[in-house]
Amino acid sequence: MEKPLYSLTALFSTPDALMHAVEATVKAGYTKYDVHSPYPVHGMERAMRLKTSPLGYFALAFGLLGAVSAVGFMTWVTLIDYPLVIGGKPFWSWPAFVPIAFEITVLLASVLTVVAMFVIFFKFPNNSHPLHDTPYMKRVSSDGFGISIQREDPLFDEAGVRQFLASVEGTDIAPVYFEEDPADHGQKLFDLRFVGLLAGVAIVVAGTTYFSLNSLMYVQPFSWMMEQAKQKPQAPSLLFKDGIGMRPPVQGSVARGFLPYAFKGRPEDAGKMLANPLLPTAAVLDRGRSSYLTFCSPCHGNFGRGDSRLAGQFPNPPTLHSEKVRNWPDGSLYHVITEGQNVMPSYAAQITRDNRWAVVHYIRVLQRAHFAKESDLK
Amino acid sequence: MAEQNLWRSLRENEDPSTIRDQKMHEFQEGVTESFDPAGMSPLSRKQFLALLAASAAFATAGCTNYRDKGEIVPYTKKPEEIIPGVANFYASTCTGCAQRCGVLIKTREGRPVKIDGNPDHPVNAGSICARGQASILNLYDPSRLRTPRYGGASAKSGDLSWNQVDTDVVQRLAGCIRDQKQIILVVPPALSPSGAGVLADFRAACPSTRILTTDVFPQETRRRAWERCYGAVPLPVLAWDQARVLVTLEADPLGTEGFTVEQTRAFAAGRDVEATDRFSRLYSIEGNLSLTGANADYRLRLLPTLQRDLLLALLNEAGIRRRAVRIDNPVVERAAAGIDMASFSTAHGLSAATLAHMVDDLLANRGKGIVYAGDALPEETHVLANYLNELLGNTTLYVTSTVAPAFGISSAEDLASVVADMKAGRVGVVIHAGTNPVYHLPRDFGYADALKNVPLTICLTEAENETAQACTYMLPTHHALESWGDHRVRAGVYSLQQPVVAPLYATRQTEAVLLQWMAVIIPFNESAYLDYLKKKWETELFPRFGAKVDFATFWNSALHDGVAVAAEALPARGKFRADAIPSIEPDKAPAGYTLLLTQSPFVADGSFANNGWLQEIPHPVSKVVWDNYAALSPATAGELGVESNDLVDVTVEGRRQALPVFVQPGMADKVIAVALGYGRTNAGPVGTGVGTDATPLLTRAAFTGSRIIRGVTALKGGGRHELASTQEHHALDDTFVKDLHLKRKIIREATLAGYLKDPGFLERERKKHESISTEVEYHGVKWGMAIDLNKCTGCNACVAGCNVENNIPVVGKEQVQLGREMQWIRIDRYYSGTPDEPVTSHQPMLCQHCDNAPCENVCPVVATNHSPDGLNQMVYNRCVGTKYCSNNCPFKVRRFNFYNWRDHLAEGFYQQEPVNLLYNPEVTVRSRGVMEKCTFCVQRIMEARQHATEQGVEFAGKDVQTACQQACPAQAIVFGNTNDPQSAVARLREHPLGYHVLEELNVRPNVTYLARLRNIHSEKLA
Amino acid sequence: MSTAVVDYSREEPVIAGTPTAGEIDAVVSAPLDRLPARTWWIALSVTLTMLAIGGACVGATLWYGLGVWGVNQPVSWGIDIVNFVFWVGIGHAGTLISAILFLLRQRWRNGIARFAEAMTIFAVMCAGIFPLLHTGRQWLPLYLTPYPNQHALWVNFTSPLLWDVFAVSTYFTVSAVFWYLGLVPDLATLRDRTIQPVKKVVYSVLSLGWRHSNRHWHHFERAYLILAGFATPLVLSVHTIVSFDFAVSVIPGWHTTIFPPYFVAGAVFSGFAMVQNCLIVVRQMFDLKHLITLDTLEKMNKVMILTGSMVGYAYGMEFFIAWYSGSQFEMFVFVNRALGPYAWAYWTMVTCNVVFPQLFWFKRFRRSIPLMFVIAVLVNVGMWFERFVIVVTSLSRDFLPSSWGHYVPSMYDIGIFIGSLGLFFTLILLFVRTLPVISLAEIKAVSPGAQPGHH
Repeated sequence: MEKPLYSLTALFSTPDALMHAVEATVKAGYTKYDVHSPYPVHGMERAMRLKTSPLGYFALAFGLLGAVSAVGFMTWVTLIDYPLVIGGKPFWSWPAFVPIAFEITVLLASVLTVVAMFVIFFKFPNNSHPLHDTPYMKRVSSDGFGISIQREDPLFDEAGVRQFLASVEGTDIAPVYFEEDPADHGQKLFDLRFVGLLAGVAIVVAGTTYFSLNSLMYVQPFSWMMEQAKQKPQAPSLLFKDGIGMRPPVQGSVARGFLPYAFKGRPEDAGKMLANPLLPTAAVLDRGRSSYLTFCSPCHGNFGRGDSRLAGQFPNPPTLHSEKVRNWPDGSLYHVITEGQNVMPSYAAQITRDNRWAVVHYIRVLQRAHFAKESDLK
Repeated sequence: MAEQNLWRSLRENEDPSTIRDQKMHEFQEGVTESFDPAGMSPLSRKQFLALLAASAAFATAGCTNYRDKGEIVPYTKKPEEIIPGVANFYASTCTGCAQRCGVLIKTREGRPVKIDGNPDHPVNAGSICARGQASILNLYDPSRLRTPRYGGASAKSGDLSWNQVDTDVVQRLAGCIRDQKQIILVVPPALSPSGAGVLADFRAACPSTRILTTDVFPQETRRRAWERCYGAVPLPVLAWDQARVLVTLEADPLGTEGFTVEQTRAFAAGRDVEATDRFSRLYSIEGNLSLTGANADYRLRLLPTLQRDLLLALLNEAGIRRRAVRIDNPVVERAAAGIDMASFSTAHGLSAATLAHMVDDLLANRGKGIVYAGDALPEETHVLANYLNELLGNTTLYVTSTVAPAFGISSAEDLASVVADMKAGRVGVVIHAGTNPVYHLPRDFGYADALKNVPLTICLTEAENETAQACTYMLPTHHALESWGDHRVRAGVYSLQQPVVAPLYATRQTEAVLLQWMAVIIPFNESAYLDYLKKKWETELFPRFGAKVDFATFWNSALHDGVAVAAEALPARGKFRADAIPSIEPDKAPAGYTLLLTQSPFVADGSFANNGWLQEIPHPVSKVVWDNYAALSPATAGELGVESNDLVDVTVEGRRQALPVFVQPGMADKVIAVALGYGRTNAGPVGTGVGTDATPLLTRAAFTGSRIIRGVTALKGGGRHELASTQEHHALDDTFVKDLHLKRKIIREATLAGYLKDPGFLERERKKHESISTEVEYHGVKWGMAIDLNKCTGCNACVAGCNVENNIPVVGKEQVQLGREMQWIRIDRYYSGTPDEPVTSHQPMLCQHCDNAPCENVCPVVATNHSPDGLNQMVYNRCVGTKYCSNNCPFKVRRFNFYNWRDHLAEGFYQQEPVNLLYNPEVTVRSRGVMEKCTFCVQRIMEARQHATEQGVEFAGKDVQTACQQACPAQAIVFGNTNDPQSAVARLREHPLGYHVLEELNVRPNVTYLARLRNIHSEKLA
Repeated sequence: MSTAVVDYSREEPVIAGTPTAGEIDAVVSAPLDRLPARTWWIALSVTLTMLAIGGACVGATLWYGLGVWGVNQPVSWGIDIVNFVFWVGIGHAGTLISAILFLLRQRWRNGIARFAEAMTIFAVMCAGIFPLLHTGRQWLPLYLTPYPNQHALWVNFTSPLLWDVFAVSTYFTVSAVFWYLGLVPDLATLRDRTIQPVKKVVYSVLSLGWRHSNRHWHHFERAYLILAGFATPLVLSVHTIVSFDFAVSVIPGWHTTIFPPYFVAGAVFSGFAMVQNCLIVVRQMFDLKHLITLDTLEKMNKVMILTGSMVGYAYGMEFFIAWYSGSQFEMFVFVNRALGPYAWAYWTMVTCNVVFPQLFWFKRFRRSIPLMFVIAVLVNVGMWFERFVIVVTSLSRDFLPSSWGHYVPSMYDIGIFIGSLGLFFTLILLFVRTLPVISLAEIKAVSPGAQPGHH
């Protein structure tokens, strides 16, 4: 079948000739036509009766978009998301926002305008237009001036248009046709080459990601200060034979605030000579309570009734509300916590000296609560 | 229109292919000729998207991070006192020098991380010098000896076991005793009762033992003079804080002489702006610009050799011309008669007015003055100084007595005879216990050669050194932090030393080794010395205390406090002896230059040479680091035709040494001052070859006598040696830059008289700065600091304290030359006046934590911003290192990691184990490319906050101490909550002398400086 | 006015002779078709060597750290930032010529606009290297962009350095778009000229299917006008913001309100000098003498004398203000510049920027190619030193005499500068071989008889 016709084209030697031709074309009432010249010919849009380009409004819109979003974002960051005192300035130091707001405005306005022109107005990219690669196009893109009247024009009829173009001294009048389509090469989604390619890509991508995240990130010169050349608590150390970074204190040395416990194995003396250095303030009792619940309650029960939560897997300790314990001086309680007694081990390492005394206070509170008197209710 | 549309759509119906074609075609005919569709990519859009999705999925799969984060190693049996992450403190004693300061050692999980002063200690009362603080680096020095090794003198080389050593040494000792060979024990001055006991026992066990006590900086002339005046009693301790008038003659009590920490504290106490009625006045007459001279109200330049005549002139003025005191000593009277003040001052270009003032003050403040002669001066001068003090009744300030070493400092004669014996083969064994005579004995003893004739030479040392290199065995000893000990620091004051970590290596404590070699029990008993110590205390010392408790309790509480005080009677000082001054010959000074051998406040006798921190602390006066130098006055330099960094050849008794010149304003002409302790040849990777060894210039006589060597020849040498300094040096006479620190109101000064007359002189010129924006308000705690320039002497202890607390790296000499030192706090030193008579001002400069911090505005990534409690904080891991903040800092206190410094110095010396144990776990170890600066020790603030939270109380911002504040012996630094009107810092901010540096910039610093008052006889500054 | 059409009527011709449109195409696209001459290869090898040197120094910097540079405390910005400002400055001529002169209807710009724009883009590329490289942790540039991150920190909108990030990147993007917009019709022309299939594909893709349709020209010109309109304030803003890096600080010698206009003038000054240098070579190389005429060059010399004098005025004014401000710090800084350790740099700057351009008052010198070439080179040297003086002298001696220092660039600093020059000229050389150095459409539009006489 013969190719479908797109348009008839004619060339003109000078801009003036072109101008005349265009005026004639418009007069003749053709609407689906186009004029081509290697550079914008002055006055042509008037001759073609084109409306003013609306690009200006686009630019305005994009510009406003930029300005508003920039200022909005900076305001949100500095006022709402993370207000920070910087150089003693107010959080919302608007004068400092001007430069960035301006830049974003210009950026969006100019770039988006051009994009809009190409995409919306010109429907670019479009290299499959029939006019491409015609002798006509080769001329107009260099030194020729031309008119092309399209077949879809309502007044179009080939002979008439030819005659019209000739009448306005158009030369090289020639038809431009649509192209025949070449064979379409569809693909199957599951052909081997494709699946192979997929697998290849997958391996490469995963490999490189893994490599960069786990090795590359840690080679010279990169440094993230995640590993520092300092000894953190409970970290191993190569220096000591046992590989343990935390060292025991030297035998016989005495740290500040840690005079050796004076009443080792002398509960009575402890009872007689030790007095509770803390006052039973709310803060102290809180500390006592938390220590008690952490360390004592598993065996002695939350209220010191000796109702062990270990329910018999373990010899139940005596209640703390017994006559004996209630009459014990604070010192004895402290001594038992420090040294342990019978099956109860020493809690010296777990509970600090202060907190031991706080626990003693708390135990007193429990006892008082257990044997609450009328007077307490008032 | 409708028609058209219809028509158009019809056309599409007719021929839909056109539309499809247009869509299908990538290129028109002609464009695509060259390639056929088959050759085109088989990839459809669908497939492409599938690919994209797949890669995305796999990418996320690849994101998994399997890096091992290391294991957690808890205590198997947790000790009571240790909670991981919480510091413990141990009281102990610093053995860095003869001061024996009490220290409080901070440990984390049983490892020492910081050394500070013990507040309960009577001598140093809570602060120690730079050297003591930095000495912790020696414990973790990677180049420490880790096992016994053969020394250079032995045929074999490499490691060996203690057992081998023990067996061999014990035999040899027995051998010596058998065939009457001498055993030489070279030890430092023994101030430890038990240590001395061990030595004595050793001598008892091996009768042929001779104990040599050597010290590079003994106060021998002072001591001998004292004994000549008052008989064999130990030197007194002076009450500097009670003195109104201080006259120092070639002396540096604030820098390097005597109990510097105590003296600095006392001196500062006498410069308290809140007690101006007891403001002291300091006269310094010296040839070398010492730190004391730099702090003097009046300073006079005088040849060290003329100090004796100056004293005579003073006696003349006071005793003969004015008849204010009665000179009861005919010899002195005769000598003084010859030298009258007027002619003396004119002859040597001293200001007669100043000298007159000095005499007036001394006479007006009898019993409240100190005339203090320097260690370097000869015996005779000291005697005269003692005599003058006696006449002025200043002996009332001799409050208590120091402690003389158990075995007196060996005289030059002793040393000579020992060397002779060694040469003659009469010596079987030489044991160096913590001494390095090969390096520090004057070369004319020929000690190194003599050692070669000794069959067995042993060096007990922490790290390899020159002597160890020349010995058969080099045996590793404990660091002070691994050792037990007791020290008698004053009459009745005992300071105890306890280890804070088990020995890191196969080291032994010197005393234990000697005990081991006496009693031949193998295997070695770890606690041998501790047992010895406790036994000695229980039997000998404990009774003296008359304690009510049993020994165990006493002992534990003594260890706990670090110091025990017994009521001991002061040794009775006799009357001033008439025969103390047999005769005074007129002094005929030989031609040539006068050499003054001084002490570096940081590397001391060279034993700290391998301590990078100390090498890099700027010299308090010259600001030179990593070097010693020949300090010359500008005139002398001109005369020799040299300038700074040129070499000058100094010759003493035919021994020549080339030294780099440093033109030091304020030096007396014809004087060359050189610090000993540099130029070590075997001190480890950092210390070897730093500076020039001045020992060759040290004569046999000068070693135990006066350190002033006269008739020295000096010539311009060839070549140059670039000195590194942390401060640019400007010609003082360049009018363009002269006195800028005063013009720019960086340093504010006034005279005491002027201030008392017009206290408001600072407020009056202060302008109110308006701000265009509303000020940020700080509720609750807001941190601030006040620094009293009257108290600060510029000793640099704060710098050391900050280094250790904040993991400050060592950058090395080259980098300092490029201007890249890293210290967060520095002491700025400014000169005004003339090159000959400079007036020195010191100013500690650190981050000012400005309310309107200029650095914060310019950081693009908000890596530096303000905390709610008014700190200017650095977010290290956010910092990208634009360095813009540093540019915009008016005080230039920010420091940048141009390299990974630890990796950079000496082939990554500080990157090796065990330096990582040194670092403060609470402070980030900054990497390369990160900006850093003073944080006001934010880690300490946070610790205090945490503690308050634990206790369930509100954080009031009380008793938080910054490291520099804690370190300052003068207590010049005050830190606290400025919102709390009761706090000291709030009070000082309002003090009439309080000012901010560069106020007119309105950056609102939070560091307040108190203007320096000069106590001179005038209301105007000269 | 309703359209953006420029009134080209009645003016003296911009190009010499009356070449037809075809001839113009031929002459301009000639270098694209024929193989490069030997001179070009030699030039390229030279520039590539420079580029390699730069690359090596960059490598060392990344590997060892900024320590290899000369920077220190207090001078933490050295010639890295000097180069940055220098290159951004160079970048200004292009947009200025293409945008401002376009708005001012300066037809003579058409011959040089394309080249100048290309230069802008390359110069900004060179400039971009330095801010990235001068950070201590060069692998974290992302921190400079506001993206949600684990620090929960955004960026500091009050920091001039951040303004730079936005300004420079915007400037680069917009210039590139502007440049490309102008290229599209020419690419279409080339597409239709070429006979090589590969080139054909490339040009087709790049020209997006441009058809020289007047329905398109109509929008095209409007878009071009809008872009010119935006680019004009943009080009002024960019160097203003760069000057803020200094003006916003508190450092005496930096903290100056005169900086924005002073920097812009300087930028145009140096930019024109650089364009001058390159054009003189290019028109020689590809004999475009009749398209880039001597008149054009002369006009550029006139611009240079103007901007040069503005810069000179600024130098004088700085001193006056320093004295007038009564601030001792200000006074010190400027006296220090003229007499201090860096006086040599200061006087080099003054001689090159203020003294030599004055020769252009004489028509004879204005029209002498060799002389204008030499002066243009000197101007570039001078402008480089201007930035050096501003950055280094101010920092080396600021408020506290205790922390004064001296700065000497290291061989790595210099190597990287050489590298940036290498990059710039390499790109230029590639550009002149691959794209029309003169805008075909624009030059045709101003060639005699290109426009209808009446109407």
